[in-house]
Amino acid sequence: MLAVGTSGPLLHSVFLMTTTLTTTSNAISLYGVSRVFGRGAAAVHAVDDVTLEFPRGGWTAVMGPSGSGKSTLLHCAAGLEKVDSGRVLLGDADLTAASDAELTALRRTRIGFVFQSFNLIGALTAEQNVALPLRLAGQRPRRADVRATLDAVGLADRARHKPRELSGGQQQRVAIARAMVTRPEVLFADEPTGALDSTAARTVLDLMRAMADAGQSIVMVTHDPGAAARADSVVFLRDGRVVDMLAGATAHQVADRLAEWER
Amino acid sequence: MLGMSRAGLAERWTLFVGALLSVALGVALVQSSLLLLISAATFDPPPGVSEAERMQISDGATAAVSMLGVVLGGAVFLAGFVISSTFAFTVDQRRRDLALLRLVGGGRGHVRRLLLGEALLLGLAGAGLGIPAGLQVMALQAWLMRRFEFVPEGFTGQWRMWILGVSFGTGILLAVAGVLVAARRAARVRPLEALRESGPAARVMTAGRWIAGLIFLGGALALMIVAPHGGPSGGVAMAMNVAMPASVAVVAFAPLLVPLIARLMPVGGGVLGSLARASVRDARRRSASVAAPLIVLVALVVGNTAAGVSFTASGVDELKRTTHADFVVEGRGPAGAVPGVAAVSTELALPGEVTYGEGEYEEVVGASVLVVDPAAYSAIHGTPVTLAGRTAVAGPGGDVPRVGPVRLRLPGGDLGELPVTGSVPAALSGGASLLLPRGLVPEAQLAEASAVSFVALEPGADRAAVRAALARTGPVSDLDDWLRADAATRDDTNRKVMLIVLGLGGLYALIGVVNAIVIGAATRRREFAEARVTGLTRGQVIRAALLEAYAVTGAGLVLGALAAGGAFIAVLATTSAVTGTANLDIPWTLVGGVVLVALTVTGLTSLITSWSATRRAPVTLLAARE
Ligand SMILES: Nc1ncnc2c1ncn2[C@@H]1O[C@H](COP(=O)(O)OP(=O)(O)OP(=O)(O)O)[C@@H](O)[C@H]1O
Ligand SMILES: [Mg+2]
Repeated sequence: MLAVGTSGPLLHSVFLMTTTLTTTSNAISLYGVSRVFGRGAAAVHAVDDVTLEFPRGGWTAVMGPSGSGKSTLLHCAAGLEKVDSGRVLLGDADLTAASDAELTALRRTRIGFVFQSFNLIGALTAEQNVALPLRLAGQRPRRADVRATLDAVGLADRARHKPRELSGGQQQRVAIARAMVTRPEVLFADEPTGALDSTAARTVLDLMRAMADAGQSIVMVTHDPGAAARADSVVFLRDGRVVDMLAGATAHQVADRLAEWER
Repeated sequence: MLGMSRAGLAERWTLFVGALLSVALGVALVQSSLLLLISAATFDPPPGVSEAERMQISDGATAAVSMLGVVLGGAVFLAGFVISSTFAFTVDQRRRDLALLRLVGGGRGHVRRLLLGEALLLGLAGAGLGIPAGLQVMALQAWLMRRFEFVPEGFTGQWRMWILGVSFGTGILLAVAGVLVAARRAARVRPLEALRESGPAARVMTAGRWIAGLIFLGGALALMIVAPHGGPSGGVAMAMNVAMPASVAVVAFAPLLVPLIARLMPVGGGVLGSLARASVRDARRRSASVAAPLIVLVALVVGNTAAGVSFTASGVDELKRTTHADFVVEGRGPAGAVPGVAAVSTELALPGEVTYGEGEYEEVVGASVLVVDPAAYSAIHGTPVTLAGRTAVAGPGGDVPRVGPVRLRLPGGDLGELPVTGSVPAALSGGASLLLPRGLVPEAQLAEASAVSFVALEPGADRAAVRAALARTGPVSDLDDWLRADAATRDDTNRKVMLIVLGLGGLYALIGVVNAIVIGAATRRREFAEARVTGLTRGQVIRAALLEAYAVTGAGLVLGALAAGGAFIAVLATTSAVTGTANLDIPWTLVGGVVLVALTVTGLTSLITSWSATRRAPVTLLAARE
């Protein structure tokens, strides 16, 4: 029940589950989570009373029409956005009760992010970008480890390039390497292939499939039924609510179901 | 973190050029002023000069030391102001970068340390540039001091080895202190802001801004209210200090005021005009950053110059009203013997040194002494003066105690202790510190004194004839002309000091303006590219940016005038209280010059920066996603 990162001065912070103390097999669990933007007549229920469990070692895709609350849900699940009600658990740790410093420590150790716009730091080389989370955690990353991570995404020969010298697909793979270097429990990805062409997208998806097969928990938002079909299961959102789920579906089935909900 | 600071600086160097320049200039000025101050304070007059000359030289050195003190203070204030606003703005422009750092696990401490590291490097680099530049500045400053006769020929600044430590310390201190507030603010950046293309504009009117604005507004109002009750010298000093807090207050409220006023600027209709107007409104922070140094520039330069000119004119008016004379004759000719003359007050001026107070509170000041005939002085200047035997009266200069004993030393001999038994009213334009009766000073010591005689005519006397007769005893002037010329010489030192200080302030403010525009444009490449793919030509983008710069400059000038207005009100109230007539002279040529320089500098900077920011084809910019 005591679940904290492995290093850093924040070890004293204890995330206690306030209700059941049964150890869950979920990577991330959301219970009755709501997030409202604005107030009064202009209020938008971006996420509306969502209860969802993302299994450990599974790859879940989140789909839905534009504005259905996918990104907001992902941000809430990752502790980037505060929730208005409900609880979010990372393993057994309650993110909704965590302080800014505790969330920072989690981002360094237990959570990884990949986004549509790759969000690399332009001043740093690929290698330095990948090493950054480790250095922020106060470690002195060994060059060999960093190179190995870059090698895993097929970019060992681009270690010294700056982001602007890389193609979109390469930049996204550097971003994945950066997310993976801390060996996080959960990888969050918001439209990781949204800005890529189909070949680059396939490389990235293959990479993620291999990671999921090796036991990595992944939560991914996507618009692409083909990408969603690579995941183990698909969750459909509409107007901030979970309206449907599919497991082991083909791209065709996902596309049909999506079309239904977008009508 | 220092490694990342270094990488950040190298990558975004255009954002930091301005900060670097202002640190370097700050270091150069502090170093130069400090070296000259020490050189002037320890300056020994060359051997073989007369005692009167020696007193004059040490008087000049005292004035030089206080001038350098003002320059030193001004340099630190302006450097602090420009550096901290530059940092605040660069940090604001990099919110996404900083949020990204937070997203991958950077804590608040990391963000703070990153920015402090950058400041440290900038401080070191700024000092590295500033120290050699300081030597040039010192040569220039010493030349100005010699030319303006604060110091005799042959005076130069002396290099001191320890100044290296002071200069590096100054650079680092200026840069680190400048970034502290910005770093605190930046540490509150939320990681999610990295994911929004254009993050929610950070709140511009922070609590700190409100508090600072209200405090400085209160300070300016207090000075404006108290100045009329401060008497001639106190009132002038207070009125001259209104512009500074008033401008800081206006700057604090700039994010609210600038868009409001910029909307009223005539930037023309059409699509470009409305684009420029929308930009000003949307980027309040950027608009305020460009306007802020302009506000300070206009308020300080126009406010203080107008105050100085007005007080001088008002002082001359006051003397015209209180001096009952028609002509002034230089020399000690026998003006009284000329037919048609009713009264003559011959006044002999000497430099001196006055000591007053006891023990720890003893003070020695350079003073000017006027040897007069009490009855004639009373008649001409319309104020009773009783002087008999060994007594003195505090003069219109008002810079020695009005009662009690003082020790007086004149060139060629010590007069010992004298009781000050009375005083004449202090005048707005100053004047002699002490009045002495004729018999007190040995004739030999009076030989070197400069003499003027104020001559009043009998009613009905023939002016031209009397004037012609007087001209045979010495050079004659009309009272009004003489008063004006005398005020000009007496104000000379003040004017020169103001010239140096305001010139420096203006230079700094312009650097601040250029900084703000360069930083603003450096982060607008994407915005420009988007405008171009929407269908604007490159020329149209540049023109819209220029219109925007003009709208903001106009707003800055208007708001600077508002702050200067505070000084104007204090001047009107003070001159009215002291002399009975409110007086305000606005130096319109200077105003015109400031407006022209401001428009030229902002216009050119805007053109150059937006031209270079649109050099690359828009697609390459929109494709790069960092
Ligand atoms: N910071 C915010 N402030 C106000 N409203 C917001 C904010 N973020 C999201 N919203 C609103 O919440 C709703 C859900 O937004 P969200 O970004 O989660 O949608 P999405 O499903 O990711 O859409 P897309 O597929 O277009 O990315 C939208 O109506 C959006 O306008
Ligand atoms: Mg989204």
